[in-house]
Amino acid sequence: MRWGMVINLVKCTRCHACVAACRIEHFLPLGMNWPRLIAWETDVPGQELTTVPVRCNQCKEAPCVEVCPAEATKKREDGIVYVDNDICVGCRYCVVVCPYQNRTFFSRDKDPGYFPGYQRTRFEKAGRKLFPHVAGTTEKCDFCMERIDAGMAKGLVPGKDREATPACVNTCQARALTFGDLDDPESEISVLIKEKNGFQLHPEYGTEPSVYYIDGKIGNAPSNIAPREAQTAAHMQHLSTMEERARQIFGKK
Amino acid sequence: MSQMATRQWMTTHEWMVKPMHQREWIERRGIMIWIAETFTSLGAGLYLVSLFINSWWGLLIGWLIIMFLKLPIHIAYFGKPWRFYRTMPPFSNAWKTSWFARGILFSVFFGTFGFIQLVFGQPDFVNLIGNSIANPIYYTFGVLAGFSAMGVGIYGGFIMNYVKGIPFWNQGLLPVVIMLAGVADGFGLIMGVGLAGGDASVAWAEAGSRYLLLINILLIVTYLISAGYTSAVAKLSIQELLKGPSAFMFWVGLIFLGLVVPAVISAVSLFSGGEASSVLLIIAIAAHTLGAFALKYCILKVGIYRPLFPRVAAY
Repeated sequence: MRWGMVINLVKCTRCHACVAACRIEHFLPLGMNWPRLIAWETDVPGQELTTVPVRCNQCKEAPCVEVCPAEATKKREDGIVYVDNDICVGCRYCVVVCPYQNRTFFSRDKDPGYFPGYQRTRFEKAGRKLFPHVAGTTEKCDFCMERIDAGMAKGLVPGKDREATPACVNTCQARALTFGDLDDPESEISVLIKEKNGFQLHPEYGTEPSVYYIDGKIGNAPSNIAPREAQTAAHMQHLSTMEERARQIFGKK
Repeated sequence: MSQMATRQWMTTHEWMVKPMHQREWIERRGIMIWIAETFTSLGAGLYLVSLFINSWWGLLIGWLIIMFLKLPIHIAYFGKPWRFYRTMPPFSNAWKTSWFARGILFSVFFGTFGFIQLVFGQPDFVNLIGNSIANPIYYTFGVLAGFSAMGVGIYGGFIMNYVKGIPFWNQGLLPVVIMLAGVADGFGLIMGVGLAGGDASVAWAEAGSRYLLLINILLIVTYLISAGYTSAVAKLSIQELLKGPSAFMFWVGLIFLGLVVPAVISAVSLFSGGEASSVLLIIAIAAHTLGAFALKYCILKVGIYRPLFPRVAAY
């Protein structure tokens, strides 16, 4: 079993909901980013700005695991790479070595609170108790492994049952994120990768990322970027599906 | 017009979209890594040169630089310095895969073996226990400390060389450049030991320094040329060194102070048929040391990551 994620670049509506969901789920301090939505300008007419969601790639051959001198960064049998903050010495070698730059060193100065200069809110205080972040150590996305573990303990299936699925996947209103088992050739993500020629970021590094992208290549060539119309159409289709579901559930017109 | 409208509500992020500098190991607290790495080169280089010419004072100073300057600064940089012990066996077996962990082990071995060698090489102690007992121990631990010092001197190069995202560092030649630059700095410092009345020959050190400086100049030029061919981002790093924000440090610090000044002074002594004057030697030692700081600064500062999406910006 190896958990992975597929990101549909056409369906992604750049809403930042995945970023917000992660921040809420893990009570991330302001200076901390686990998933990101990065943007750049292109020279394709009508596509001056494009965005791509990125997060820790949970590499199969993770350089961060290999270089950690304290063995604080570990890889589980299900492929999830995580940091044991009780062991991490804060040398930041993993931050430097990650070619995707998806790790953040958490220092006190990155934690001024959501309202710097004011007392922490009750939400922040509660968050500190529920999900304590250890200053002086490194953090990263771990595919919400606590949700996966708790869900699987109840017999739920990650990627299918919301309770066992990463928060960002649950919250994606356009269903641009798909989560599942890469080792299972019948799983939804394996089929998506196979049918839509899923690609990884910088495969030449030999890190074998578990995050794949589909529907649209990333680059400057005109055919490589999903046209805005296609994104809108996908989004509208999704909204109409949701509307239809709502009608079925609530029985209203 | 549409572009203007777009920019009004959202500014393009620079993060990993364009080539991005590594900051963790050179900015803010990262300056400590720069300083610690420089002391690594100076200490290990001096120890190796002193071992070669059997200079007890050189060994002592090299050992002190590593143990009391390099290691404390390096550990102080950690986010959790008191967890330092977790990087070593039996708490961690990371030395099997991590050059960082290996470097820490080399430093510990060096500290231990070097200390024993220094004790059994100390003249008063040798007189006390006799040559027949002291000498075998001194030389045995000298070999062990020498290998450890080599490890200490070279591991920083391997640490950086392993970073695939930074093409300028990801060169096979980097550990060699760092190691030999350290030895050249060791020659510079051993001149200081000789000048201060220690047990080192200044003329010998000058001769050694002369050859090594030439080798280092060739090595740095080769490194820059070969790195430039590997990727556009590595080329960008080189451009930053030659005519960008790091040009002052490169040309004045590394090339002029670190290579040209010591080379000219050693050439003067060669053609004048003896040792250079004390003033010139002091200038050469200072220039060598400043050059060591400049080399590490330049390497760390121009570490630039390849963007996440190479095709976007043709990298």
